[in-house]
Amino acid sequence: MENGMQLIISGILVGVSYAVLAAGLALIFGVMKIINFAHASFAVLAMYFPTFWFLQWWGIDPFISAGIALPLFFILGYLTQRLLIERVIGESESETSTLIMTMGFSLLIDNFILIGWSGAPRIINQPYTLETWRVGKVLVNHAQTYSLLISLVLIGGLFLFLNKTMIGKAIKAAADDPEGCAYMGINLRFVYGVAFALGIAITATGGCLMATYRPFNPFYGESIIVILFASVVLGGMTSIAGALIGGLIIGIIQQLSSLVVSISLQNVAVFMIFVLFLYLRPQGILGKRERLI
Amino acid sequence: MKRGTPQKRHTFWKDYSPILIACVVGGMISCIIAENRYLQRIILLVFLWAAATSSFNIISGYGGQVVFGYMMFVGCGAYTTVLLFKFAGITPWLGIFFGAAAAGIVAIFIGLPTLRLRSHYFAVATIAFPLILSPILDHLGLEEVTIPFKGYGFSSMQFTDIRVYVAIAIVLLAITLAIIRKIEKSRFGFELKAIKQNENAAEGMGVDVYRTKMFAFVLSAALGGIIGAVYAFSSLFVLTTHAVFGLFIIVRILSINIVGGLGTLWGPVIAASILVPLGEFLNAEFGARAPGVQDIVYGTALIVTIIFMPAGIWGRISEFLEHRHRKLGGSPKLSFAGSSDPGEKGNIEKKESPVVENTPAVGTEDGHDRPVLQVEGIAKSFGGVMALRDVSIEIPEGKVLGIIGPNGAGKTTLFNVINGYLKPDKGKVLFEGKDIAYLKPHDLCRLGIARTFQVAQIFNKMTVLENIMIGAFARHSSSLDAYAIARKTAEKMRMTSRLNDRAVGLSIWETKILELSRALATGPKVLLVDEPMAGLNPEENDKIGEILKAISETGITVIVIEHVVQSLVKIADLMVGLDEGRKVAEGSPEEVISDPHIIEAYLGAKWRKRYAQS
Repeated sequence: MENGMQLIISGILVGVSYAVLAAGLALIFGVMKIINFAHASFAVLAMYFPTFWFLQWWGIDPFISAGIALPLFFILGYLTQRLLIERVIGESESETSTLIMTMGFSLLIDNFILIGWSGAPRIINQPYTLETWRVGKVLVNHAQTYSLLISLVLIGGLFLFLNKTMIGKAIKAAADDPEGCAYMGINLRFVYGVAFALGIAITATGGCLMATYRPFNPFYGESIIVILFASVVLGGMTSIAGALIGGLIIGIIQQLSSLVVSISLQNVAVFMIFVLFLYLRPQGILGKRERLI
Repeated sequence: MKRGTPQKRHTFWKDYSPILIACVVGGMISCIIAENRYLQRIILLVFLWAAATSSFNIISGYGGQVVFGYMMFVGCGAYTTVLLFKFAGITPWLGIFFGAAAAGIVAIFIGLPTLRLRSHYFAVATIAFPLILSPILDHLGLEEVTIPFKGYGFSSMQFTDIRVYVAIAIVLLAITLAIIRKIEKSRFGFELKAIKQNENAAEGMGVDVYRTKMFAFVLSAALGGIIGAVYAFSSLFVLTTHAVFGLFIIVRILSINIVGGLGTLWGPVIAASILVPLGEFLNAEFGARAPGVQDIVYGTALIVTIIFMPAGIWGRISEFLEHRHRKLGGSPKLSFAGSSDPGEKGNIEKKESPVVENTPAVGTEDGHDRPVLQVEGIAKSFGGVMALRDVSIEIPEGKVLGIIGPNGAGKTTLFNVINGYLKPDKGKVLFEGKDIAYLKPHDLCRLGIARTFQVAQIFNKMTVLENIMIGAFARHSSSLDAYAIARKTAEKMRMTSRLNDRAVGLSIWETKILELSRALATGPKVLLVDEPMAGLNPEENDKIGEILKAISETGITVIVIEHVVQSLVKIADLMVGLDEGRKVAEGSPEEVISDPHIIEAYLGAKWRKRYAQS
């Protein structure tokens, strides 16, 4: 029983970290209808730079780096959208070609990290990385708790931004009806750029937070991108709230699965659930079926 | 249309000899330049990657369904063959067929849920499967399987000379290419192309989209399984899950396919012979200092091609050839054995209506007013919106039925229910007395219900002739027959001058005629036409009307949705008025257009009163 409680708590902690990353993916998908396969690679890049290297070079705390990553990756995301993805979007079969292109891009990010900073697994060594609180019989890691709190602030900020600012509202409008937006004088390219940038910035910050308690390597993105995708599918593809719930569920399933199967098969359990969902409810938990014509 | 054997043999030679020649020449060049084992290995890899990419190309390039989890099949083939060899002593020559079967069966299970998804969901969904299987294999202690050495020799597929593997790989490649060439010329290939461009339209034209995709998927998978097995035996002593289930496999295959050109026969071969040696040489040169350099080559090539040359190398070459061909005034690109050149030139003659003189599709013996189609008590709602409520209509054979009603009245929904795109919540649709409400559009098309769409749904990248052929394939499985039907239909519809132009460049009028031609080529008994006059001028409206009337005179029942009431009235035998999902008027055109309900629905209550007073 204690074991189960412990697993649910750590499932929630892991799940929220997935939720943050998945929210960025869902935002990009919801607005631009593209699947960003390089999404997790951006998070991994943020784990190295600024998180790992700022700590190594100047002793900057990873939680401060997370704050630095937000604007840094916002700019990087904006440039990626305007310089690469914009060239493909809107053409015929652009859904597939953007997917393939971002896959190529993730390959580049991963391998440049490999060449630049070696393939050795890295770990952040800060006091809070290993320290824990004991609540009853449940152990709660410090770094994960701080990450959870910051993640909640981040998600709250994202919703505020989308609902309260002009540009946020423009993003939501563009997700609904891009053509209508264009007629209303909204610059779609700029809006798409900001949406993509926002998605990447959120994800990169989430990556920094994740790095405070998890070891990582250049190809870590490969192992989480499909988890993120599963979260988004569970949440019904286009909804950010859905992706958050999806991420949370995935985290809990992943942790609880160790009650049933070996720990090396954790992700297998996650993907099985994902496949099951595809069979039974492809529109996700919150999603609606689309009209055909 | 004659189908003489000599001509057939001639095209057979024309179709397949380039593959044979390319593979023989490729093999000979390889033997000459491959002086050491290192070069031989690289050549082996070129052929293997070319073959793997070509197999992938069937479902992903031709069918447009990009399988990100393709390594699943490579891995299944490799593992099945190696495990059978190791534990059961089954020779790999037999084992590869078990490997292919395993990959094919796995593909059916993967395809069942995922092939229903839209293309990019499908792409990412398939990637979950290798991620499920490979940790399970690791967990079972199979992450490294040593291929037992059973002495050099034919039966164990173990050779000292790498060139033997090269020969095997060349044969594999040649077989794969020959299969693709065969597909390109067949109904299956045309249908795949149609699905890639417009799934809805393909379904409506009698293509069983799901089954066609599934067949292509299983074929791609089985070939991938064979290649995986040969790859394992030729290049590995130790089979690891990473080597055959790794993400790098799909990345390279995608890269090679995109750079060469998706859905082209020669693209993968050309791109593999550039990218594979380049990657291997760079890896040998800089790999120690920069371990990811090979993947950077593939990634960069992928991105650069997508941005600057989306059709790929071969796509660009064939565009150039086509362009030059046209400049020289050559014959059309599509040529079939025994087909005559569509020589007659001349614009689509707008002044004259196309002559439609089909022999009646159905025997219209005696009961002229026998209903061919009956809609009984159909209801359909979307969420809280009732699009149709209890609509019943009887449609007599060989007549023109006009359906009018304001926007949102449920007209298109009614069409979608009749031809299977939507399932009704309640009610029946009887076609020749049989309930068809739960059949799919492609089944209905083959039964004899064809349609055109409100927003034209044509296969943009196919030629006009190919578009019409897709319709003709609904009843004819041979390409030659479909070609003949398509040409005949095009002649009747006066569409011959643009037969070999891509559909994307057509005018609105031509697009409408194309959609009608394509629907007629399916040999329908009932034709559903959704707003054929939208976007046309009054003169053209009347001409469309004449065409529809001519079609109905050949025995085909025509149901038209139209807002241009004055043109519709001229041709309709019967009319039905819909408003807010209800049938509000029915009868002769005169009756319906003077019906108070209809006047109110179109013009408001004020006009209804005025009309009543007058």
